[in-house]
Amino acid sequence: MMNLLHIGVLLTGAWSLLALTALVIRARAYGKLEYFTPAAGNPMAGVAYAFGPGMSPTAKESAREHLPTYFGGVGYHLGIFASLAYLVLLVAGVGFGGFLLRVVQALTLLGALCGASLLIKRILTPHLRGLSCPDDYVANLLTTGFAGLAFAAAVSPRLQPAFFGEAAVLLSYMPLGKIKHCFFFFTTRYYMGAHFGRRGTFPPRA
Amino acid sequence: MAEIDELESRLDQLTPEDFEQGLRVFREKLRGAEASYLQTCVHCGLCAEACHYFRTDGELESIPAYKLDQVVSVFKRHFTTMGKLAPGLAGARSFDRAMARSWVETIFGRCSLCGRCSLNCTTGIHIPVILRAARGALVEMGLVPSDLQATVTASLEKGNNMGIAREDWIETVEWIEDELRTAVGDPEARIPIDKIGARVLFTVNPREPKFFPLTLQASATVFHAAGEDWTLASEGWDLTNYGLFTGNTHEAGVIAENLYKSMERLGCKVLVIGECGHGFAAARWEGPQWLRRENAFEIVSVLELMETYIREGRIQVDPSRHLDPVTLHDPCNLVRHGGVSEPQRAILRRTVANFIEMSPNRAENFCCGGGGGQLAMGRFKAKRLQAGRMKADQIRKTGAKTVVAPCHNCIDQLMELNKEYKLGVAIKTVAEMVADALVLNPPNAH
Repeated sequence: MMNLLHIGVLLTGAWSLLALTALVIRARAYGKLEYFTPAAGNPMAGVAYAFGPGMSPTAKESAREHLPTYFGGVGYHLGIFASLAYLVLLVAGVGFGGFLLRVVQALTLLGALCGASLLIKRILTPHLRGLSCPDDYVANLLTTGFAGLAFAAAVSPRLQPAFFGEAAVLLSYMPLGKIKHCFFFFTTRYYMGAHFGRRGTFPPRA
Repeated sequence: MAEIDELESRLDQLTPEDFEQGLRVFREKLRGAEASYLQTCVHCGLCAEACHYFRTDGELESIPAYKLDQVVSVFKRHFTTMGKLAPGLAGARSFDRAMARSWVETIFGRCSLCGRCSLNCTTGIHIPVILRAARGALVEMGLVPSDLQATVTASLEKGNNMGIAREDWIETVEWIEDELRTAVGDPEARIPIDKIGARVLFTVNPREPKFFPLTLQASATVFHAAGEDWTLASEGWDLTNYGLFTGNTHEAGVIAENLYKSMERLGCKVLVIGECGHGFAAARWEGPQWLRRENAFEIVSVLELMETYIREGRIQVDPSRHLDPVTLHDPCNLVRHGGVSEPQRAILRRTVANFIEMSPNRAENFCCGGGGGQLAMGRFKAKRLQAGRMKADQIRKTGAKTVVAPCHNCIDQLMELNKEYKLGVAIKTVAEMVADALVLNPPNAH
């Protein structure tokens, strides 16, 4: 059973990786903007700002004014990354315990709780409900479930098959819905940072 | 009302070919960056309060993510596999009459393309670029508000957006030149027109000769005091470009080229864009892109030039001429989209005694509500004034008696906000502030 689940995770992981890469390549195939205007600033400095200080609450009003959601998002993503790392280690057969296992347990629990809180917020907030499509709920349920089952598997190894099954479903779905932002986040923020860097808006001059 | 009927009538007349044409134009405007932006929104909703429309009406339709989603959902339906296979799950929707109506109402009616949402987007989507591409598609389908398009058409047909005739323009400049001579007490003071080989070609918003000649006189006074080698052009002098707002890059390119042709005709070295946010963005940043060519000359804002004059001691100013508190409005196209945030501050710190920043400011500023062509679209006036409340509140909190705005569109909107929200402030350009503080013929002048 576990062997089959291992294979399932590997296959869906490969599908996810290939499909996400293909999506990014397809987006890039729309063409590259050729510049005819001289830059006023440094595009790469803009990129560095966009991925660094530009995401912090001190620089970003939307983060500053929504600190619980901001930290909820940070916790959610930490939990997802910890769950992914845990999945990779399990599939690779790398055994670990002690402090590292406790860190995984803490982060995955945090991720599951944060994910659930963001889902509740989406359901209860009229404006967020208005913005949402089924994909928003499916994506949250899958990733929150992923983190939750990672926590469960880390606490009780008997639950690893459930974690693997959930992982396979999540990996299958990743390129199909909004979870594809796990790749597009980086390209989008790069483009945005380079744009404002080129124009001298990023990093702020004062 | 006629405008509303006109758009509704056009919506009713749309054929499947019109929709295909709109989609084709939209698709042609996309590059890798835009294709990435269109696939990254996670509907977190954190952009909501970044928008002055949402801040003032609290409506779902004013949330930047909602506006973006109108376009994203169409992109998904027509250009992505998932959107074609499972539109319900993916939130993909067809580009039909109802969606076209929604595009007009949200993209023209609830957005000034200010870009504040981009800086506050969790994933970094540059939303105005997408919405401008959608506007371009609407223009192609004949769904641009006619008063906005009329401004573009006037520029294309008459060379300036107010249709000022060449002889009227020259006559106005000559009259201002007379006033300048009196004001500076120098009978030799000049406002050159078509001076071949001048270092600087200064371009102007047609509102200055038409309604605010003192603003043009103020700029001329500063150039005179600095001993600048400058000129105006008899043709190709209008720096505005409403093609930036319609999204029709062909028409926008033709308008931008008017300025570049003047530069080439007169052999000037620096194209100086007067105090106008969108004019600066159009000429400095977008024009060469629209025309797909590099310019052989430099393009700067007049603010950058004036700051140089002060820094290099070419002009001297006396801040005691402006003792009342003064605040500064940051035009989105000049600051957030244009990257020019500091020269105007350096100028004001030297020119006024009590300079107070708005909060937030610079790239984080709130749009006044007049950008994105809003001032030219009568049907959205009530919404525009409502959205301007954010700026009115910002101004009121500074306690300033004077608001300096280096942009004519912003000035027009601020004048309306001044009345609507009873702010009781004076609204001036940077050049007017500098001209009023100029120390002419200082003792150490050379």
